[in-house]
Amino acid sequence: MSDLVILDDINFSLEEGKSLAITGPSGSGKSTLLGLLAGLDTATSGDIYLDGVNLNNLNEEERALLRKDKIGFVFQSFELLPSLTALENVMLPSELKSEDDPQDRGEYFLERVGLIDRKNHYPNQLSGGEQQRVAIARAFACSAKILFADEPTGNLDPKNGKLISDLLFEVNSESDNALVIVTHDQELAELCDKKIELKLGKIVD
Amino acid sequence: MLASLSIKLFIREIRSGYLTSMLLSLILAVTIVSGISLFTDRLEKVLSSETKEFLGGDLKFESNEQNIKKSLEKLDLKDSQSSEMAIFASVIFSDQEMQLSSVKAVDNSYPLIGELELQNSSGTFKTRKNPTPGTLWIDERLKNLLSLEYGDKVYLGDATFIFSATIIYEPDRGSTNFAFAPKTIINLEDLDKTNIIQPGSRVEYNYLFTGSNAEISLIRETLEKNKNQGDDIESLDEDSSSLGRTIERSENFFLLGGLIAVLLSACTIGISSQRFARRHVSYVAILKTLGMNILQIRGLYLLLFFYTTLLTLILGLSLGWILQSNFISLMDSYFPSELPAPSPYPLYITCLTVIICQFGFIYPHISKLLDISPMRVLKNDISFNQNITPVFFMGLLAFLLLLYLYTGSIDLSLIIFSGVILFSALGIGLVYIILGSSKLGLGAKDAFNLALSELRRRKLSNSFQIFAFTVAIGLSLITFSASQNLLGSWQDSIPEDSPNNFAININEEDKKGMKDFLSKEDIETNLFYPVANAQIIRANDQENIIDRNFNISWILSLPEQNEIVEGEWFQNDKLNGISISDDISERYNLKLNDNVIIQMEDGSIETYIQSIRAVNWESFSPNFFVIGHPALFEGKSSTHITSFFIPKAKQKVAADLMREFRTVSVFSVEELIKQVREIVDQVTKALNSILLLTCLSALFLAFAALQDGFDQRRHQAAILRTLGATSKFVKTSSLIEFSILGLLSGILGSVIAHTAVYFIESLVFETIPGFYIEIWIMGPIIGMCIVSGLCLYLVNGLMKQSPKDLLNLQT
Repeated sequence: MSDLVILDDINFSLEEGKSLAITGPSGSGKSTLLGLLAGLDTATSGDIYLDGVNLNNLNEEERALLRKDKIGFVFQSFELLPSLTALENVMLPSELKSEDDPQDRGEYFLERVGLIDRKNHYPNQLSGGEQQRVAIARAFACSAKILFADEPTGNLDPKNGKLISDLLFEVNSESDNALVIVTHDQELAELCDKKIELKLGKIVD
Repeated sequence: MLASLSIKLFIREIRSGYLTSMLLSLILAVTIVSGISLFTDRLEKVLSSETKEFLGGDLKFESNEQNIKKSLEKLDLKDSQSSEMAIFASVIFSDQEMQLSSVKAVDNSYPLIGELELQNSSGTFKTRKNPTPGTLWIDERLKNLLSLEYGDKVYLGDATFIFSATIIYEPDRGSTNFAFAPKTIINLEDLDKTNIIQPGSRVEYNYLFTGSNAEISLIRETLEKNKNQGDDIESLDEDSSSLGRTIERSENFFLLGGLIAVLLSACTIGISSQRFARRHVSYVAILKTLGMNILQIRGLYLLLFFYTTLLTLILGLSLGWILQSNFISLMDSYFPSELPAPSPYPLYITCLTVIICQFGFIYPHISKLLDISPMRVLKNDISFNQNITPVFFMGLLAFLLLLYLYTGSIDLSLIIFSGVILFSALGIGLVYIILGSSKLGLGAKDAFNLALSELRRRKLSNSFQIFAFTVAIGLSLITFSASQNLLGSWQDSIPEDSPNNFAININEEDKKGMKDFLSKEDIETNLFYPVANAQIIRANDQENIIDRNFNISWILSLPEQNEIVEGEWFQNDKLNGISISDDISERYNLKLNDNVIIQMEDGSIETYIQSIRAVNWESFSPNFFVIGHPALFEGKSSTHITSFFIPKAKQKVAADLMREFRTVSVFSVEELIKQVREIVDQVTKALNSILLLTCLSALFLAFAALQDGFDQRRHQAAILRTLGATSKFVKTSSLIEFSILGLLSGILGSVIAHTAVYFIESLVFETIPGFYIEIWIMGPIIGMCIVSGLCLYLVNGLMKQSPKDLLNLQT
């Protein structure tokens, strides 16, 4: 049986402060690419440089440290910890970095996404849109160099989707973060500085 | 359609491995239950027939008089048989020698049960008859002591007999209290000719009965009504031989081990079912969306569990049969060659156990699963009804039913049940207090803080995990210490150098000579106990004579394996009396401080009952019904009894000793000790197998509980790693967290085990409860090592997967 090639001949770069949209139909390899870019997985061949570091030269532990220092995530299914309140979820990256003021930072970013009054609520007490706002607050609380968002509006209705995409770009514009978004949503993709479209694991546009 | 879908689902579940822990627990439970119940069932049958043979019938009546015959004649008995025998001690003469012997005069119905094995000049043969009048049979030892050949004349009292056979084996070995002296059997018709039995002679009449249960009960009732003080009735369930007690205790242990293993498996099954139901939420929602109604879905899952039950029973019963065959082959030298076939009871108890487990621990979760809304296909966050009351209630009910099934006593079941509930409530409360309340944040700045924070944050689920680990550790420790206690008590009762020979009828003047004789042979003698024959008379009711003679001894120190249950042992600063055994106290209604007269051959002594002792009659050392203070018996004539260990190579010494000291009788308990030792060794192997299986059940439970906890942690670990936590950080934190959980469970398990062992020792094994430091050391160490070890195994598996896979990102 021949090996299954998921991604092939992918080449691109993204500068600090810029945004990139990765689009394509289901099964085209978008999320796999995102996983590789974020150091969640390793490529069988090729090199990925993030802030000058070749991810393929790092082991899982080194990649984890790199993620802690330089990467933020927003997921389609939010991926909040159900046993933590909204504030505690946002505090988590600061806690992992052993920063002095996780609570202050958490409250700042919750304020920024307009959920400070819901800080003590648990994820199951929040709507989908609100949960994604908490996830955005958590991503920005990472003080990351690059933010990866996997279908951030995929689980939301159009109104909430618009709200989230606006918020994502708004908060991102206040930093020098690079932003990589995987999306089906053409409108959201259009908001990005660059766009690549994948089909059967290859860049077609 | 339903059948084919259910088969597909069953095969898929088996292949996926998700049913593994539930299946393994069920199979293990069935294996243990069926193995133990098959074994104990067959063992009981063997023991019952052996006891019957040992006793000589279904019922035995012992009396010093023949009065009872008249009352029995009035009964209209149809299918019962009886046998009469007179047993007494007398000196027997050959042309050259003389020797004290225990003589048994038996009627023509003898033996009622079993066969005698005899030997004559033509070889060994078996018979179901008594000796023909004018002949007698004697045992090998007496034959050698009297230097007899077959056909020689033997003289007993005024009668002359022909020695016709040597006794190799007699069925009613338990029939005589004179068993220590070499044995002679004569025909009852010859008894009068001997002129030995005169008014006042010490003779014991035994009446043995066999027959239907109804007639035996009728006979027993009549005997109870007409018996005199001192008469004794024994039936099959009153076997007090060393072997009987050894086997009975080990049976108790097997049943305890079985119960513990089943309870452990039940907890595992409960946890596994919960996981199973959680995994099937979407499946049920989809089936409902596709139009299947509740009845069909219920049928689908019932069929699934019917297949599980069938597979479990087939595999479990087969393994159970192999287990009991192994137990039996371990002990086959003790059993007769053909063991009786088991009764249907093991199958019944095994099936009932599986049904209770299914309905108590699996069905409630399935029932909850069936309530899931079809909306789940649209909204992922829809899950179970969070009300766990019905699941809890059914689980507890099943737990109580299992207890009742295995203990057979509603009182005992309720006591254990309430104890477990009370302990669980206290334990969970204690865990809540120890863990304290959680602080803001996950505390993820270092592994230790994260572990502590997790312990606090998951207090409820941690409490249930601690409960499961505690049950696993506690029950394993109970099984371990029960087996150790059992082995310890057996080994204590037969130490390596326990005396294998007893010498009786030693005169004062022979004492020194005997010691010298034995020391020349390098054989060490134990204490020479003075023994005299005496009658006890109540001082205030001299008419009410206790019609039985006792062997009385007088010594200053309390013999080993005797325990004072009432009153005090002799003290120098007060007036000392006598100490009697608790069975004598009960049988003759003799109470503490009763004034009594001890009537001896050379005078009487007025004294009082100073203490009542529990005597371990199973110990291989001299034991006495009555012991007096030496000052009371000063100057009274007595013989002595002593015991000593003769090594195998010097077996000839016993016969030489009896030749040298003509009045002394030496009898050997070597064979009995050997038999008990063999049984203990064989039972030990069986006990260890049960212990191993119980520990395996405990390990399954601990693993299932951890696995359940890890399902919830899998998601958290993935998010933490995505956010930059290293594998080492997550691993260390989990290891610290579960080590603390294991430690806490180990401590609680030790508390449970020690409390339970106290009750088991005093109530089940009827021994004196001890303090076992090893329980307190082993509990926490095992708890920490096993739980953290299993945690490491699971967390390593988790770390091998990339966070991307754990978060299930789509391509």
